[in-house]
Amino acid sequence: MLTRCLFLLTAVLLAPVLALATPLADKVVEHRLGNGLRLLMVERHDTPTVSAYITLGVGSVHESSETRGVAHLLEHMLFKGTTTLGTTDYRAEEPLLLEIEQVGSELDRLRLQPAADPVRVADLEARLKTLQEQHKAFVVKDAFAQLYSESGAVGFNAFTSKDMTTYLVSLPANKLELWALLESDRMKNAVLREFYTERDVVREERRRSYESNPDGLLYETLVSTAFTVHPYRNPIIGWHTDIANLTLAETRDFLRRYYAPVNTTIALVGDFRAAEAVALVERYFGGIAPGEPVPAVAAVEPEQAGEKRVAIEFDAEPQLAIAFHKPTLPDRDDYAFDLIDQVLGQGRTSRLYRRLVEKEQLATAVAVYGAPGSRYPNLFVIEAVPRHPHTSAEVEAAILDELERLKNEPVSATELTRARNRLLTDNLRALRSNSGLARMLTTYQVLAGDWRYLVDYETRIGELTAEDLRATAQRWFTSKNRTAVTLQRKGGAER
Amino acid sequence: MKGKLLLRATLGWCGSLLALLVTACAPSLPQRPEQLAYPPLEFRIPPVERFELANGVRVYLREDSELPLVQITAMIGSGALAAPPDLTGFDGLFAATLRTGGTAAMPAALLEERLALLAADLAGDMGPYATQLGLSVRRADLAEGLGIMADLLRRPDFASDKLELARRSAREAVRRRNDDPDEIASRLLSAALYPGHPLGASPTLTSLDAVTREHLQAFHRGHFRPDNLWVAVSGDVRRADLQPLLEQLLGDWPRGGPAVAALPPLNPPRAGLLQVVGKEVPQATILLGDLGLTKEDPDQYAARVLNFILGGGDFNSRLMREIRSDRGLAYSAWSQFQIGRRYPGPVMAGTETKNASAVEVLGLIRRIMTGLREQPVTPDELRTARESLVNSFVFSFADPHAVVVQRMQLDFYGYPADYLERYRERIAAVTAQDVQRVALRFLHPERQQIIIVGAPDENGAVLESFGLPVRRVKAEELP
Repeated sequence: MLTRCLFLLTAVLLAPVLALATPLADKVVEHRLGNGLRLLMVERHDTPTVSAYITLGVGSVHESSETRGVAHLLEHMLFKGTTTLGTTDYRAEEPLLLEIEQVGSELDRLRLQPAADPVRVADLEARLKTLQEQHKAFVVKDAFAQLYSESGAVGFNAFTSKDMTTYLVSLPANKLELWALLESDRMKNAVLREFYTERDVVREERRRSYESNPDGLLYETLVSTAFTVHPYRNPIIGWHTDIANLTLAETRDFLRRYYAPVNTTIALVGDFRAAEAVALVERYFGGIAPGEPVPAVAAVEPEQAGEKRVAIEFDAEPQLAIAFHKPTLPDRDDYAFDLIDQVLGQGRTSRLYRRLVEKEQLATAVAVYGAPGSRYPNLFVIEAVPRHPHTSAEVEAAILDELERLKNEPVSATELTRARNRLLTDNLRALRSNSGLARMLTTYQVLAGDWRYLVDYETRIGELTAEDLRATAQRWFTSKNRTAVTLQRKGGAER
Repeated sequence: MKGKLLLRATLGWCGSLLALLVTACAPSLPQRPEQLAYPPLEFRIPPVERFELANGVRVYLREDSELPLVQITAMIGSGALAAPPDLTGFDGLFAATLRTGGTAAMPAALLEERLALLAADLAGDMGPYATQLGLSVRRADLAEGLGIMADLLRRPDFASDKLELARRSAREAVRRRNDDPDEIASRLLSAALYPGHPLGASPTLTSLDAVTREHLQAFHRGHFRPDNLWVAVSGDVRRADLQPLLEQLLGDWPRGGPAVAALPPLNPPRAGLLQVVGKEVPQATILLGDLGLTKEDPDQYAARVLNFILGGGDFNSRLMREIRSDRGLAYSAWSQFQIGRRYPGPVMAGTETKNASAVEVLGLIRRIMTGLREQPVTPDELRTARESLVNSFVFSFADPHAVVVQRMQLDFYGYPADYLERYRERIAAVTAQDVQRVALRFLHPERQQIIIVGAPDENGAVLESFGLPVRRVKAEELP
């Protein structure tokens, strides 16, 4: 309860008189465990449910070139249980797991050798299969999912991004202790069983999201082209050969190295008492060793030396994407880009919609967004869907012309007001659901180092002028800083 | 800075106090979920306030003042099935032009300017049975936002240039309909399950070109009436303020009498068929389907339990467990029983797997379906499914706006008054025998529709071995 009062005090110090600041700042209760784990809580007693987010400040950006895809594969593996859950008897299971790992690693090594003896490979494959069959006797399938599901929990899931990894679930309010038990067990005692099967699952995920889908392919190509040095260039999921050659040892190492309280932010939003939740989290997570902080990424993307342009082929109608490098938060230009994003591409009054979709009817849709992460300098992206018979080239020319306008004339006062209103109101809308609020809190705690980024946001946005936006556009919307990707059918001709 | 230091000091004190309490009350930490005991969940279905305007507008309200926002769904009780026959795609054009075409009093451009300045969200949608406008505004902008919405409901202009814009966009979507494997599979499945019926039809360039502004206006005249209007409101507004506002905006709109649309009869689904749509992608999208049940059907509760065990229960379902978790053959594998409101909804199952394993996975899915027909589900499976469906019921009420819209729709579609109240006990009463009976009724490997999009490796006539006629076509040859 004391913590609550202090947050009211903080709110007063910051003088947040505007839309988002007030509802948020006086509701968040913060608690830091002795081991560094950070707990953010918002009580809401309308419905007896709680949304729980656990976010680790580690993502694919922290992989090496040898371990691309490991952050995401590990996220999958952490659904496979612990030393007590997901197994009939871990003591008896453990030797078999070791043997599976030995055979599996040997097989991975051999497959990379061009002169490998095919008989030996086939033998090992058969041996691995036999061991995996034997192992099934010890596996209690998907124990976490079953326990959560029977308890009435929904949305049990996880996602890996460039910058962070989040494990989320929403539970009936009386089951909060089940969450604490399962998640602390997962942090302390995870067992990476069924590894080789899960690698195949991830390869299917890759085929589905990036190889059979034109949008996914366009996006992946854009990001991997725009960056040369910074690990933002690597797909979170990894390339096929990355996934196929990730080892259990590498996956376990990533877990031990980074999954620690000092890198963890938990957000609980819903029907509970903060003091009781603090006690619960202290009890289950308090005994875990703090661990080491995730190191900052050393690689810095050098200034781009000239335009990058790629044409990819896929069995689909044409699409295009254009990206410009830009700084990330809390750089002033990042706030300016939030406003530019609105003026340029959000809604029916935005410049690109009005010109490309409504007036010249060159495109049926335009989308503008920031990518691929937010902890390091990132990209401002514009995507468009040309309308037949108009070509990607025509659409691109119109987009670039609109960017020139932004560089040469200040946006109108109305455009600026509209953009500010939209950003602040949408932030407010994101707080409506328990899970939405939990997501905002953990995301900004990890990305900005403090969830109060959200509280200060309105002030920062309010300080920027039309002249600031023009200066930002001039700095970054240059041909040298541009990456363009077009997608079309084989042969490149647009029908 | 001062505030921060103070904060840290106090937290430290708070933490050590709690540590003492913990030590005193709980000497050891539970290791397994079975060791936990849960307090009972105190939950009652949240009440929704209902009132009616003198001209028949039905209003549903749930006040929620946590955030200064208000959300409104205005629903006209007529949809695509009431549109002129053969105008496939009318629904999308009507909804888009209603939303963007301005009003008699306020031209489209001005209307967009106002909405944008308020940061209001306004969306239009036409489903088979109903047409909706959805609005989200800040509390302070409620009167203006609701005014625009009422004007669109009563006096939409359906501006010709906006109809043409929507038409061109819809035409482009037709050109792009073979880009995405999922979209191809869904389109072919609907056509096979609802042949010759609006529910099974997809727009064509010809059908889109046939829609005129007069068609849109005629639909509006025939169906947009206060006695055919249902309004759901949630957020930071009190009835004492809302009701006079609605009376002022809608009160002088005269009743129009019932706007009943005949429901065209269904034809029997096409005979079982396996369609292979060739597309150069590394993965085959597999979709299976049959006709299912309506909301009047007493088997709907057993069907929900069956669906959970088949493929609706994520990792607790057989499809996910056998295809993904045991064999690594897919990322997602799912099933769905859509409970139809007026017509039987589809029963579907689907997955995506690399082309080399497409035949194996299709065989697995069919074997799992046959298994559910031939053997009762296990007590463990039944328990997990029933407990999950019963215990997660509370989440149907987590979003205040969803609560109001749900109440409104239950009334509109004529669900029994005790539907929500009795839902959990009905699920809890489902037996393994019920599940098997429903599996026999709805899972028919011998006559189902199967669509595969991709380049499945078929060594010879393997696909023919499933016992269904096989039709092979390339994506670009599809009508």
